[in-house]
Amino acid sequence: MAEEQKKVRFVIERQDGPNDKPYTQEFDVDYRPGLNVVAALMEIQKHPVTVDGKRVAPVTWECNCLEKVCGACMMVINGKARQACCSLVDKLDQPIHLAPARTFPVIRDLLIDRSVMFESLKRIQGWVEIDGTWEVKDAPIQNPYTAATAYEISHCMTCGCCLEACPNVGPQSDFIGPAPTVQAYLFNLHPLGKFDAPKRLNALMGKGGITSCGNSQNCVEVCPKNIKLTTYLAQLNRDVNKQALKNIFNH
Amino acid sequence: MYNVTFYLRRLHSLVGLLVLGIVILEHVMTNASSLGGPEAMNSGLAMMEMIPKPIFYGLEIFGIAIPLLFHAIYGIYIALQANNNPGRFGYMRNWMFTLQRWTAWYLVPFLIWHIFYLRIYTKGICGVPMSYELLDSYFTNPIVVVLYTLGMLAALFHFCNGITTFCMTWGIAKGPRVQSVVSVLSMLLFLAFALVTVAFMAHYVLF
Repeated sequence: MAEEQKKVRFVIERQDGPNDKPYTQEFDVDYRPGLNVVAALMEIQKHPVTVDGKRVAPVTWECNCLEKVCGACMMVINGKARQACCSLVDKLDQPIHLAPARTFPVIRDLLIDRSVMFESLKRIQGWVEIDGTWEVKDAPIQNPYTAATAYEISHCMTCGCCLEACPNVGPQSDFIGPAPTVQAYLFNLHPLGKFDAPKRLNALMGKGGITSCGNSQNCVEVCPKNIKLTTYLAQLNRDVNKQALKNIFNH
Repeated sequence: MYNVTFYLRRLHSLVGLLVLGIVILEHVMTNASSLGGPEAMNSGLAMMEMIPKPIFYGLEIFGIAIPLLFHAIYGIYIALQANNNPGRFGYMRNWMFTLQRWTAWYLVPFLIWHIFYLRIYTKGICGVPMSYELLDSYFTNPIVVVLYTLGMLAALFHFCNGITTFCMTWGIAKGPRVQSVVSVLSMLLFLAFALVTVAFMAHYVLF
């Protein structure tokens, strides 16, 4: 007689459509060493039967890289915003509670619409202008110290953990959130990107920009890439203050 | 277009620390002088009365009333943009963030009551000047004592935590080490002021 299969209980907050009411369903998944939340969700997808034995529509979620690089599988796991792919079942309290990150519009179940962050990146000009009528020569020299900081910030995968944790991001506020704000600093550090620094700083001074930060510092606690968000927010605060003085006294 | 939000937020921060901070310090010092007995406090209050009336009213209106109204009204707007979540994210600074807003919610009705009763009704309408005796008799009601002690502690916490967030908002304290040093120092300042507050409130009640 084989040993009884160990099960992992998942309590999942589900929602059939963007405007439907949320409800919860519980699922048992066969335990195996190294099981993570995405793998467990895949098991549920193969066999979408609740603990009551009811066959239901499979749980919808989003994932892509499965190695904490793309940010797509961000969800609320046991109350905390994090990536499902690197959330090991062995390290989580059971039953494991899964919920969508409700700072963003929910499309279905755990699938959310994070396009608001893309809009924010457009607003802060999160790119470097390279196309023009000029001749493109060698790449400009990077200061290696600056490059180390830029490398750190460039790890941001727009997963949205910091927005989910931030008390100032949500339907009650127009704050664009820590991730897109700090991206402005990344592009301001770039040897070519810094030409547009005043544009980005002025964008950050607008409604919902960096001034909506309330220093709760949840962002730096939850960032899965350990980006020193509060440090760069403080640096950007310095930079926008200087920009404001220029705006006042240069015209 | 002209980044109105930016200037309002920065003005809110400046007014809170520099203008209302001075008002709070004045209240702590004047009340602390009651520990030296009625004469010490009354002579201090008499010195303030020596300021010519137009200047005194000017200070009250432009140094307290307008900054306070701006800070309170814009502050309510700011507080309404927060969805406090220390239950889900119980980190130290998130608790401070939440307490900053909770103390503010207490201070709005408290200050309306405090200013209308003591400044506008008692001093303004009834013409009773501030004195040790007035406060001593006012603080015989235990409810008033509790609400005033809470009001003073809330204002002091709001001010001291405000020093920390001011240093972050203005980009003065950038890195995590200096930010925690500023945070600890401002909370020590809060503890010191809180002790003084408890001392003079106890003095009003006991003597």
